[in-house]
Amino acid sequence: MKFAIAVFSPPHAPSSRRALRFAEAALAGGHEISRLFFYQDGVHSASANVVAPQDELDVAARWRAFISEQGLDAVVCIAAALRRGVLDDEESRRYQRPAANLPAPWALSGLGQLHEAAQLADRLVCFGGD
Amino acid sequence: MARSLLIISRQAPWKGPSAREALDIALAGGAFDLPLGMLFLDDGVFQLQAEQQPAVLEQKNLAANLQALPMFGVDELFVCAHSLAARGLDLCHLALPAEPLDAPALRALIARFDEVITL
Amino acid sequence: MTTLHVIAHSPFADNRLASCLRLLGIEDALLLCGDAVYALRPGSEPLRDLQAMNLEGRLFALKEDLQARAIDGGLAKAVDYPAFVELSLHHDKVNSWL
Repeated sequence: MKFAIAVFSPPHAPSSRRALRFAEAALAGGHEISRLFFYQDGVHSASANVVAPQDELDVAARWRAFISEQGLDAVVCIAAALRRGVLDDEESRRYQRPAANLPAPWALSGLGQLHEAAQLADRLVCFGGD
Repeated sequence: MARSLLIISRQAPWKGPSAREALDIALAGGAFDLPLGMLFLDDGVFQLQAEQQPAVLEQKNLAANLQALPMFGVDELFVCAHSLAARGLDLCHLALPAEPLDAPALRALIARFDEVITL
Repeated sequence: MTTLHVIAHSPFADNRLASCLRLLGIEDALLLCGDAVYALRPGSEPLRDLQAMNLEGRLFALKEDLQARAIDGGLAKAVDYPAFVELSLHHDKVNSWL
């Protein structure tokens, strides 16, 4: 079966890790993830500038590694990301900001990508909360 | 056939971007002509109150975007009757025509849609 | 169509659980995770509300969240992540109360 997974919480929220564990279990169970979509505070889970304390799980880094290793389509909502200071190179130049914090494998795009993912998947599963 | 999506908006309007971001999901889906419904639940019903003045908080008014929903093809608008009554609101206070639903009707509504996003 | 409702907020902090129970269809299921598993604390008000709903076979809790908080699932069936994935497929849709 095909899953679309949407993450609405930052990497320090338990639900970001929960979404990651669910995604891993879905793939391990022989299912497919057609897209990961990061919205609202979930855009922080895509930031490359998160520095977790050494003795704590670095959920943002785990997301990055998981997406790269599995070759997944990972979309960050551009409007939600700009509002929260999560920018790729192009946006940091466009708005003349000093830094970009959204390198590959992430892609900035619009909410249409969430709708497309929901249309193409068998299940849309959203994660947020504590 | 396109899968239908019900967006359940349960955030008060001026506590941050969450109410606007729920609405943006609906507007984006409407632009793609997807079958969409929107239900205002819990504190989300405060979004519908008429004559609010968020400008004094230096915030943009949500009302214009809410009123754009039918123009974007989102014309299935519902409100939880229990949430309204619990907050001392009634239908004549609302800035947007939304159909009030009791609990059995809400259960049937959620069952009818292919996907639900509650935020 | 049946719905798997998912709640991840403490029932003592907001009204998600109360609203969800009002909207829960007779064939719908509820999965508690994160701080929502505090609803299963013995002697608590939310546990009484859950007991009154006749949710046998339809109430689940994420095992790791129960263990971490020293809560005995009791009324709820404890599930791991593979079971969470299967639950989401067993129902027609998943409604997470974000």
